[in-house]
Amino acid sequence: MQSAGISFLESLVSEFSPGTSTGMGLPKDYHEQCHSSMELNYLKEFYCWAKSAALNVADKIVSCYANISEEKVCSRALRFMFQVLNWNFKSSPSALDNSSSKSNSGSFGIRPDMGLLKKFERSLLEPGPLWHDALLSSGHMLWLLNFYAIVRQKHSSDMLWFDSPLAVSARQLIVQLCSLTGTIFPSDDGEMHIKHLTQILSAVIEWVEPPNIISGALRSGRSESEMIDGFHALLSMATLTSTMLFDNLLRSLRPFGTIHLLATLTCEVVQTYVIKNDDEQTWSSEALDIMLEIWTVILGRSGNDMKISAEGISSASNLFSTIVESHLKAAAESAFEDDSEADYFHVSVSRRDETLYAYALIARAAVETTVPFLTRLFSERFALLSQNNERMDPTQTLEELYWLLLITGHVLTDSGEGETVLVPEAIQDGFSGVTEELQHPVIVLSWSIISFAKQSLDPKMRNAYFSPRLMEAVIWFLARWVDTYLMPIDAAKGQLGISGHDEGLQQHPQSSKKVLLSFAGQHSQGETILDTIIRISMTTLTSYPGENELQALTCWKLLVVLVRRRHVCIHLVALESWRDLARAFANERTLFSLNARLQRSLAETLVCAASSFKDLETSNQYVRDLMGPMTAYLVDISSRNDLKAVAQQADAIYMVSCLLERLRGASRATQPRTQKSIFEMGCAVMNSLLTLLELYKNQSAVVYLILKFVVDFVEGEVAFLSAKETSILVNFCLQLLRIYSSHNIGKISLSLSTSLQSEAQTEKYKDLRALLQLLTNICSKDLVDFSSFSNDAESTDIAEVIYVGLHIVTPLISLELLKYPKLSCDYFALISHLLEVYPEKVAQLNKEAFDHIVRTLDFGVCHQDVDIVDKCLRAVNALASYHYKEKIAGKEGLGAKALSSEESNGEFQQSILSYFLRLLIQLLLYQDFRMELAGSAADALFPLVLCEQDLYQRLVQEILEKQSNPAIKTRLASAFYALTSTNQLSSSLDRNNRFRFRKNLQVFLIEVSGFMRII
Amino acid sequence: MSDEEHHFESKADAGASKTYPQQAGTIRKNGYIVIKNRPCKVVEVSTSKTGKHGHAKCHFVAIDIFNAKKLEDIVPSSHNCDVPHVTRTDYQLIDISEDGFVSLLTENGNTKDDLRLPTDETLLAQIKDGFAEGKDLVVTVMSAMGEEQICALKDIGPK
Repeated sequence: MQSAGISFLESLVSEFSPGTSTGMGLPKDYHEQCHSSMELNYLKEFYCWAKSAALNVADKIVSCYANISEEKVCSRALRFMFQVLNWNFKSSPSALDNSSSKSNSGSFGIRPDMGLLKKFERSLLEPGPLWHDALLSSGHMLWLLNFYAIVRQKHSSDMLWFDSPLAVSARQLIVQLCSLTGTIFPSDDGEMHIKHLTQILSAVIEWVEPPNIISGALRSGRSESEMIDGFHALLSMATLTSTMLFDNLLRSLRPFGTIHLLATLTCEVVQTYVIKNDDEQTWSSEALDIMLEIWTVILGRSGNDMKISAEGISSASNLFSTIVESHLKAAAESAFEDDSEADYFHVSVSRRDETLYAYALIARAAVETTVPFLTRLFSERFALLSQNNERMDPTQTLEELYWLLLITGHVLTDSGEGETVLVPEAIQDGFSGVTEELQHPVIVLSWSIISFAKQSLDPKMRNAYFSPRLMEAVIWFLARWVDTYLMPIDAAKGQLGISGHDEGLQQHPQSSKKVLLSFAGQHSQGETILDTIIRISMTTLTSYPGENELQALTCWKLLVVLVRRRHVCIHLVALESWRDLARAFANERTLFSLNARLQRSLAETLVCAASSFKDLETSNQYVRDLMGPMTAYLVDISSRNDLKAVAQQADAIYMVSCLLERLRGASRATQPRTQKSIFEMGCAVMNSLLTLLELYKNQSAVVYLILKFVVDFVEGEVAFLSAKETSILVNFCLQLLRIYSSHNIGKISLSLSTSLQSEAQTEKYKDLRALLQLLTNICSKDLVDFSSFSNDAESTDIAEVIYVGLHIVTPLISLELLKYPKLSCDYFALISHLLEVYPEKVAQLNKEAFDHIVRTLDFGVCHQDVDIVDKCLRAVNALASYHYKEKIAGKEGLGAKALSSEESNGEFQQSILSYFLRLLIQLLLYQDFRMELAGSAADALFPLVLCEQDLYQRLVQEILEKQSNPAIKTRLASAFYALTSTNQLSSSLDRNNRFRFRKNLQVFLIEVSGFMRII
Repeated sequence: MSDEEHHFESKADAGASKTYPQQAGTIRKNGYIVIKNRPCKVVEVSTSKTGKHGHAKCHFVAIDIFNAKKLEDIVPSSHNCDVPHVTRTDYQLIDISEDGFVSLLTENGNTKDDLRLPTDETLLAQIKDGFAEGKDLVVTVMSAMGEEQICALKDIGPK
C-alpha cells in the first residue's frame, strides 16, 4: 500500500519536472506555472511524507524484524526523497544573494561554486530557506546517517548487501545531501554548513577507511559502490569548500587532515589502477577519475582559496612518488607489448593528458620535493643507458624514459592551447631559497633533459636508443618547454635593467623566479639551446624516414612554437643551423621524402620567420631565396615539351603535389612584410597553374591542391594589392574558375564500388568548398583594403568578378551537396555577403542562376544550423530591402524576377518575397524558433512586411481565424497589433526604424511563445 | 634547385614502366597503391609501430580501381611501395555496338574500338541512356597496369 503510494508520488514528481514530462499538448507557460506551484506548495510536503514512511519502518529494519515488503517501502521512500532533491529548484533566490555569499566565501571558506560537479552529471542542491526545517533543523540528517550506519553494521558480513536497493538509495540520498548549499543555511558565517558537512564526513569516512583494507576487500570481490559513493561525497565537499577548510573538516575526527586521507586513498587507487591484471576491476578507473577530479578541484584554484598545510604538502609529495613509481613499473612491464594492441594506461591521448594534468597539479603542490625527485629518476635512467654498452635490451628503460618525459612535461609546463604560455605559478613561486642558477631544481631538470635530447644527434646513440616513440616524447617535451621557458616574455621585459645574477645588489624576495626566467633568456644560453633544438628537428626530419607521427610532431608542434614569438625569430634566423634547414628545404631533395602535408607546414614555418628581419627588403629576399627554386621548378615542369607524356606518371604527380603544398604553406604565412615576395611567387606560377589544371583535370587530388593554393594565396594577398595587381589576380581567378567549370559541369563519375563513388562525391564537395572560399576571399577586397593608393581607372570591379564567378559555380552546387555542413556554411556566407553588398548585381543574374539562389535560400532558412539560418535571414533581408528601396525610388527593383512563378509544385506561385514572408511567419509562430535569431529575423521580416503590406494583413487575419480559443485569439491579435504599431514605427528602412522593429519582435516572440509553444 | 638534380627519373619514353616506387609514409588517403599486383585507391591509412619502440608501419585499406574489391596491406613506412601509373583519357563516344563494345574517337582522329562496356547494369544504363538520348558524350577512360575501363561520363553538347 505504502509502496504504491510512493510510486504514485514518484511518477507525479517526474511528470512535473520539465526534463522528464510527457508531451500533453499544452502551452509552455502553463507548464511553467505547474512547475513552480509544485515546487512551492507540494514538494516539501511530499518529501516529509516519504520521510515519515521511511521512519515508520526504519525501527523494524534496524531490529531485523522487517519483512521484505517493509524493506522495500523503506528503500522506495529513500529513493523518492532522492528524486525530490534532484528537482531543479528555481525559486531559490540565489541570484539575489550572490553578492553576500561572495563576500562571505573569503572569510570562512564556503564557496558558492557552480557547475564543477557537472563532470559526473550531478548538480548542486539549492532548495532555499523554506526547506530548512525539513532537511536541517529536524535532525533528519543525523537520523539518516545513523540508520545507514546501524544497518550496515548488521550486514557487515554480507558482501551483496552493499548493492541492495536499500543501501544504494540511502547512500544516494546522503551524497545528494552533501551538495546542499545556498540560502537554506542561515548566514552564520557558514557555521551551520560546516557542521552539516562534518556530520556527513564522519559517517562517510567509514565507507573508505582504512584505505588499504578497503581496496583489499574490493580486490577480493566486495562491491565497490559504497566506496565510489564515498568519493562522490568527498568531491561535493571539495567543491563547496576552500582547500583549507576541506583539509580541516576531518581534523575534529582524526589526527590528520582530509588531504592526507585523500592522498592515501589515491595511492591505493593508483596502485590498483596500473596493475589492472584483469578486466573485472573497472572500478579502479572510475575511482581514479573521481579522485583526480577532487585533486583538480582543490589544487586548480588560485590565490587564497588554495592554501595547503605542511602536512597536506607532504601527503601530496608522497602521493606523487607513489604515482610515478607505480606508473614506471607499469611502463617497464608493458614495454614489450605491441603498441597497437593494448596501451596500458590510455584510451586516447586527450584522456591521458587529462590524467597527467591532474598528476602534475599534485606534483606542483609540492614542487620542492617532486622536481628533484623527477630529476633523480631521470638521471638514473639516463645513466643506465650510457653504461649499457649494448649488452642489455634497453627497451624497458626507454619506456620508462618515455613516461618520465611526459609527466615532467606536464609538471613543468601548461598546455596553453591558444593562449600565451607562462611558467606555472607554483613553479615560479617555489624554491624561494635558491639564488644560484645551477642549483635551481627546475633548471637542473631542464638541463638534464636537454642534454639527453642532444644525444640523439650522435648517430650511434640514435640508432641504439632513440626509438621513434622516445623521440616523439622528446620533441613533444621540447615544444612545450620552449614555449614556456625559452626567452620568456616576462624576462624580456625585465631585462631592461640588466642586473643579471647580481643578487648581492638587492636581496630580491623573488630572486629564484628571476633566475628561472632568465637562464634560457636572450642574453644567456637561449641561443645555444635554440641551436640544439633546430639540429634535433633536422635529425627527426631526415633520419627517421617514414615516421610520420614523429615528423608531424616536429613540424606542427615544435617548429611552429619556435617562430611564434618575434624576439625568438630574430635569434633564429641568425643561426647557421636554421639557414641549413632553409637551404635543405630550398635546394635539396631530402625533404621531399616528407609527407606532403608536412612540407606545407615546414614552408609556412620557414616563411614565418622572415618577419623578424629589421629590413623589409631582407625579409622579401629571404622568401625569394626560399621559394624561388620551387616556382622555377614548377614553371620548368609546365613548359616541358614532353609534358603530356610525363605528367601522368606517378612520380611527376607526387613532385607537383609536393611543390603545390609548399607554395600553399608559404602563402599561408603571408604577412605585411613578406606580402611583396609572396605575390611575386604567386604571379610566377599563374600560367603554369592554369596549364596544370588543364592537364590534371582527371587527377582530382592535384586539382584540389591547386584550388587550395589559390584560396590561401588570395586570402593572404588580396587586402594589400594595388588596383593593377588586383586585376592580374582577379583575371587569373576567373580563368581558373572557367577551366574548372568546363571540366566539371555535367560530369558523372561511374564506379563499381560505392565507396569509391562516395569518395568521388567527397572530392567534388571539397573542390566546391574551395571555390566558394575563393570567391568569398575575393569579395573581402571590397571590405578590407590596405593598398596604398587606388586608381579608379584601373581598378577592377570586384562585383563583376563575383557575378561571373557565381554564374560558374552555382550550377555545380546542388541541394544534395548543401547537406554537407561546412559547404553549406561557406555557401550561405558567400550568398548573404553578396546580397548585402551587391544586390543590384544579383538582380541582374540570369533567371536560372537567380532561381537557384532563391531555392537554396529557401532550403537554408529551414536549416538546423543557427549560423546558416542567420545568414539566410540576412540574405532575405538584403533582397527585400533592395526591392523596397528601388520601388520607392520608382525603379523596378527585382521586377519580373520577384514574380517568377514557373515553379510547378506551387511553392513559388506567388512572388518570391511573399513566399518568404509566409515562410518566416510560419517559422516564428509555429516552430521551435530560437531566440538568438530574433534580431536577424526581425531585420528580414521588416522589409518583407513593408514590401507586401496587403499580404501581411491577410496572413494575420488567416492566422487569427484559425485560432479557436478566444482567450488566445485576443492575446495573439493584440500581439500582432503591437508588433507593427507601437514604438513609433514608420515605413522607412532606416536604422532607427529597424531597431524599433527588433524590439517589437522581441516582445512579440516572448509574448507569443508562452501560448503558441505546445509541449 | 639545379636541373640535373630534379628531373624526373622517368622520361617520356619510359612509359613502359607501369609502376613507380614511393615511400609508404608519404602515401596519403585518396592516393594510389599496388596491392597484390592490383592497382588500388587508398581509402584508409593508419600507422602503428612494431612493438612499442620499433619502427612505424603503415596499414593500407584500398579498393581495386577496376573490380572494386577491397584489399589490405601492411608496409614498414620507410619502405617503398609500388604506385601505379593511373591515367585518364577523354574520348568522344561515337557508337555503342551490339556486342558490348564502344567505339571512341581519339585525339588524332582515329577510332578506338577495343573497349568493352561495363558489365554492371547501372553503369551500363547510365551510358546507354545518355547515348540513346542523342547527347554528345565524352567518356573518360581510366587505364593502369595494362587494364582499361570507362570511369566517367560527361555531356558536352550545347545546352
